[in-house]
Amino acid sequence: MSYAYLFKYIIIGDTGVGKSCLLLQFTDKRFQPVHDLTIGVEFGARMITIDNKPIKLQIWDTAGQESFRSITRSYYRGAAGALLVYDITRRETFNHLASWLEDARQHANANMTIMLIGNKCDLAHRRAVSTEEGEQFAKEHGLIFMEASAKTAQNVEEAFIKTAATIYKKIQDGVFDVSNESYGIKVGYGGIPGPSGGRDGGSAQAGGCCN
Amino acid sequence: MQEPELHDLSDDADYAASLQQGSASMMITRSDSGRSTSSSVPEGAEIVYSKDNVTIHPSQFASERISGRLRLIKQGSSLFMTWIPLKGQSTNARLSERERNLYTIRPVPFTDVRSIRRRTPTFGWQYIIVVLSSGVCVCVCVCVCNLLLKAVLLRIAFPQLYFYNGGVKEFLATIKQHIFIVRSLEDANVFLVNDFQNPLQKTLSSLELPVYIASGPSASVSDGGESSSYELQERIGGSIHDEIHRPSQNPGRQRHKSHDPARDLTIHVLEKFSLVTKFARETSSQLFRESNSNGYGAIERKNSSQTLLDVPHRPSTDAEIAPEPVPSDPLEFNKMTLVWGKPRQPPLGSEEWATFLDSEGRVMDAKALKKRIFYGGVEHTTRREVWPFLLGYHAYDSTYAEREYLKSTKKSEYETVRQQWQSISTEQAKRFTKFRERKGLIDKDVVRTDRVLPFYDGDDNPNVNILRDILLTYSFYNFDLGYCQGMSDLLSPILFVIEDESESFWCFVALMERLGPNFNRDQNGMHSQLFALSKLVELLDSPLHNYFKQNDCLNYFFCFRWVLIQFKREFEYKKTMRLWEVLWTHYLCEHLHLYVCVAILKRYRNKIIGEHMDFDTLLKFTNELSGHIDLDAILRDAEALCICAGENGAARIPPGTPPSLPIESENALLYAQDDEVL
Repeated sequence: MSYAYLFKYIIIGDTGVGKSCLLLQFTDKRFQPVHDLTIGVEFGARMITIDNKPIKLQIWDTAGQESFRSITRSYYRGAAGALLVYDITRRETFNHLASWLEDARQHANANMTIMLIGNKCDLAHRRAVSTEEGEQFAKEHGLIFMEASAKTAQNVEEAFIKTAATIYKKIQDGVFDVSNESYGIKVGYGGIPGPSGGRDGGSAQAGGCCN
Repeated sequence: MQEPELHDLSDDADYAASLQQGSASMMITRSDSGRSTSSSVPEGAEIVYSKDNVTIHPSQFASERISGRLRLIKQGSSLFMTWIPLKGQSTNARLSERERNLYTIRPVPFTDVRSIRRRTPTFGWQYIIVVLSSGVCVCVCVCVCNLLLKAVLLRIAFPQLYFYNGGVKEFLATIKQHIFIVRSLEDANVFLVNDFQNPLQKTLSSLELPVYIASGPSASVSDGGESSSYELQERIGGSIHDEIHRPSQNPGRQRHKSHDPARDLTIHVLEKFSLVTKFARETSSQLFRESNSNGYGAIERKNSSQTLLDVPHRPSTDAEIAPEPVPSDPLEFNKMTLVWGKPRQPPLGSEEWATFLDSEGRVMDAKALKKRIFYGGVEHTTRREVWPFLLGYHAYDSTYAEREYLKSTKKSEYETVRQQWQSISTEQAKRFTKFRERKGLIDKDVVRTDRVLPFYDGDDNPNVNILRDILLTYSFYNFDLGYCQGMSDLLSPILFVIEDESESFWCFVALMERLGPNFNRDQNGMHSQLFALSKLVELLDSPLHNYFKQNDCLNYFFCFRWVLIQFKREFEYKKTMRLWEVLWTHYLCEHLHLYVCVAILKRYRNKIIGEHMDFDTLLKFTNELSGHIDLDAILRDAEALCICAGENGAARIPPGTPPSLPIESENALLYAQDDEVL
């Protein structure tokens, strides 16, 4: 399937905050409460359209446990976007955001777009982190913010697409040199032709089997 | 050799007749009349073609030619080819028994054959070249001499077989009767075997000419005509001695210069060959003998033929190689995996298990038991009894009574530790963050472990609770290590097999004695294994190693999941249990799992290199191999690689690398890390 751009995303955050469920909801439009915990990394992919351009999102869903941080750090390389997820019903997952952010800042490229997601907003009765706190944290650290629910699908689509729209705008504004893949962007056949454009073939095919 | 006599069955009139009758029936007739030796052929197998005076020319000297008998053997749905040197031929008289063995082509299944090339020189005899699939380890050991070394370098082809008495046409016609074979579109003298995939493979197969791949890709596809064949012959004509010690004027040999580090490797490989040959001999003779001599012949045949039949169905390995030839070093070690891992046996059943025990329940010959399990695994119903031994929970020399006693004492010991966390009240837990976090994590993970299995599915499944209790108890039993994700994956099959909570716990404890370092917070256990893996790939496939090096992939993180939970996510549940019990035997070595990694990587090396996979693509690729790996084939490859690597491989694995038992003095330090979270 051809695309104008391919964006690499990485989903990070504490274990059990619902990273894999968000991904599954986005790629398969379903909620699967009973899935195996993520070891290492899992992949998902989906096509979206922004500004009438087909964009493929290749999403890396990482393991959340502290022990695996050293491995997870190697996945940041070349990510254009990150979804940093916490669980609004577990305060500690919010408290750990700073350390996740530090990892991201240290190991990802500086222009990576980060979306903060307060997941499980369907469980409002068990809320331990207010929306305002989430907003405040995002504002302080220059992140986009949304509360979402992988279970009800609320804001899931929006979170992924809004992140992509932000990345797309950065491309339009010339923030990225799209020919440099370390920014996590690949130009496909339908993209802007240029001296470095038109690379596709293998990469499109490689990602194609996910969806 | 088992073929002491010389039967000349080679007159073409016979074969013309055989074609009219159907060669199979002819061979039965021959067997009946006693004219054909069939001592090496088991019941159920059938010689469908036999031709004497099929000769190998190891050198340009006529005196060194070896005359032999070429056969096609049908067993079940599989067709095999063999070539055996014959005694009594004048030119063979000088051959030692050893040399004869070395040149022998053991039964090679046609599933391992890529193509057959027929040549009809203007002068001289018609000959064929059998080219094997370029996948790893499908090469049956031909010999340990330069002939093989070069044949192996030549993309794994057997040496030319000269048909002194004709019969090439019959040979091909017989093959065609039994398996799918097509003539190459590009070259009418190339016959492609197993070629029911895409047209690309046709092209590739015909490019897989036995051309000496000298210094670059250009040479590998230079031409497929006579010159390459002569080149082959010329190269086969040289001796090892020349190859190694004499810098050649031939530009194609330039890399054999004295400072080439690969040279040492070659010498080493040559030293290893004697072992390898012995192994291969055992292996292939087993295929044909054991099926008769033991009680599970029929199953074995079925299993082995299934394994063989799996070969052409390997998904997207060679069939999808990028059109550009993958750079290949003539000395690349992977082509030297000469052994063919033994065919897998049926699993050990309860009756056979009983034969390993003496009257008081001791395992009489632990090594034989391990070997048996290494090659066949254990039947599911017998696992409950056998796994505690393999895991090291039960001593092999323990008696029934001792084990019963152990069970009861260990049960109370388990309950004591379990009581430690069960007695923590809700109030106490409020002031015990570490416990709450640990319990919370385990609670979350056990409901995300193998819930698709009936054993663990459904709400309030008691087995899920047992899983939780064991993990939490373990985190108190070994508080420093605690709980880490991945442990539930390792425990799940153990509980599924053992069922009893306390016994499962102790089996898990035994497993964690070896695999605990996988879960160290600083990941040192994982890093040491991934490092050892990189060293093994460097040894066993240096071009692949160089590729990883150039592409910044030497951290081997793309094998992380494989190693961390012992391929649990790569195979279906049943296959995982089979793999684990094989690994746990530590029969060939303690680190077979690393050779399994190498085997998988090598199986897909052409795809990895051909498609220029970068780290990200490679990680995604290995992740998506899950569910697509043929376990039996990979185990055979791993076994072969392990044997090929031998001591050289062992030397590349630092002492104490999991699953070796930790080095005692460091034991205390192993878990003494900052455990700020858990």
